[in-house]
Amino acid sequence: MSMSLILRGATRCNAVNLAKSARLTPVKAYSTIFAGAQRQALAKPLPLVKNIAPIVTRNISVSAPRMASAESSHTALWTVERIVSAALLGVIPAAFIAPSQALDALLAVSVVIHAHWGVEAMVVDYLRPSVVGNILPKVAHVGLILISIATLGGLFYFIKNDVGLANGIKRFWAIKGKDSQEA
Amino acid sequence: MLVNEARHLLSRASSLAARHQLRAISNGTAQLDQQAQPKEAKQPQIKKFEIYRWSPDNSGEKPYMQTYEIDLRECGPMVLDALIKIKNEVDPTLTFRRSCREGICGSCAMNIGGTNTLACISKIDTNTSKSLKVYPLPHMYVVRDLVPDMNNFYEQYRNIQPWLQRKNEATEKKGKAQYLQSVEDRSKLDGLYECILCACCSTACPSYWWNAEKYLGPAVLMQAYRWIIDSRDENTAERLNKLKDPFSVYRCHTIMNCTRTCPKGLNPGRAIAEIKKLLSGLVSKPSPKLETAALHK
Repeated sequence: MSMSLILRGATRCNAVNLAKSARLTPVKAYSTIFAGAQRQALAKPLPLVKNIAPIVTRNISVSAPRMASAESSHTALWTVERIVSAALLGVIPAAFIAPSQALDALLAVSVVIHAHWGVEAMVVDYLRPSVVGNILPKVAHVGLILISIATLGGLFYFIKNDVGLANGIKRFWAIKGKDSQEA
Repeated sequence: MLVNEARHLLSRASSLAARHQLRAISNGTAQLDQQAQPKEAKQPQIKKFEIYRWSPDNSGEKPYMQTYEIDLRECGPMVLDALIKIKNEVDPTLTFRRSCREGICGSCAMNIGGTNTLACISKIDTNTSKSLKVYPLPHMYVVRDLVPDMNNFYEQYRNIQPWLQRKNEATEKKGKAQYLQSVEDRSKLDGLYECILCACCSTACPSYWWNAEKYLGPAVLMQAYRWIIDSRDENTAERLNKLKDPFSVYRCHTIMNCTRTCPKGLNPGRAIAEIKKLLSGLVSKPSPKLETAALHK
């Protein structure tokens, strides 16, 4: 990245610019020295050794084709995400009003994929390679996919071999504690 | 001769009148001054300003907050007035950007009392029991004190090609005739073109904090939409195609900090949502109501 920036900068440095900068250098150098001296005098009296801070640079990535994800399109995924979000508004009540294996399966798939996309956005936003390195983001993403698959498998197992998802939640809701049974 | 004398007399008379007027005015102001003097004896209204300081000259030094005390009775009403007063009278090393002092240039964007806004159009809170904290725009590289590095932001703006693009440049000679735009089409640019690129919204966006190199940010995306929806621009498909990757637009999670903080009262969040709708094909750009290049024929 930084190498390419340097190379790009080098091509821009043509002869005309070099000549121009050579012509301007003495005046510029004098003014910066003068301004620097003034600033120093204001900041602290008579510094014997001037500390020069390293110049902080930011790696700017403006050339879209260099980005790994530049070629891919996210539009279809975004559209499906919106459709699922809107569909959940109907699927959740439907699954509870008329519990059936088909509606339970639809509920399980849509809720799991909805949650998966939400957590995936968090992984992409917060586990950035520039912060945590190149390995952790990939491990987290694979881990998330495994967790989502396991969740969906578990829910399917529960729907197939037990009372079903909506009924299960209804029963869970109906559990009463000791106190309420006595009352 | 007579005419000349008359002119002299007239000019002398008028200058006399003017002199009288001047005297009257100066007397008036003198009286006003005398009246004003007892009022100025009021108690000073001292407000504390805590300002972020960091200089690249002092290597290894951590940023720190410096407190300045300003008498609000001797200071203009806006935060920028206080900053200029501090720089002029207290500490000339305090560094910040400013230019127009009326909220149209966007230079003095900074984080004031926890909100990104323009120093020149935000009033100083006159409650002197609380200090006012001033930071540079959040999550930007700091050049010095309140001056952030805007290079990445401007580079992103350059990347969306913010100029009118036509397909048929052979017959439409530039500058020969106007492009037509109906009133209705023009009104679609209202709320978009007013942006002054102060970067308050982009630097208030958590997504832009985390992915500033790849996510374009609300300010730049609103300008992208301004050119996408312009009825005169013909490169809509190409513009949208450049934005379809997972990062340029889709890191927006509709947090809406951008709209909340905009000092010009614009709505970048809505513009990004419109881009997403156009990208997904849920809506498409309407064709121009007037034939744009009619005057070029």
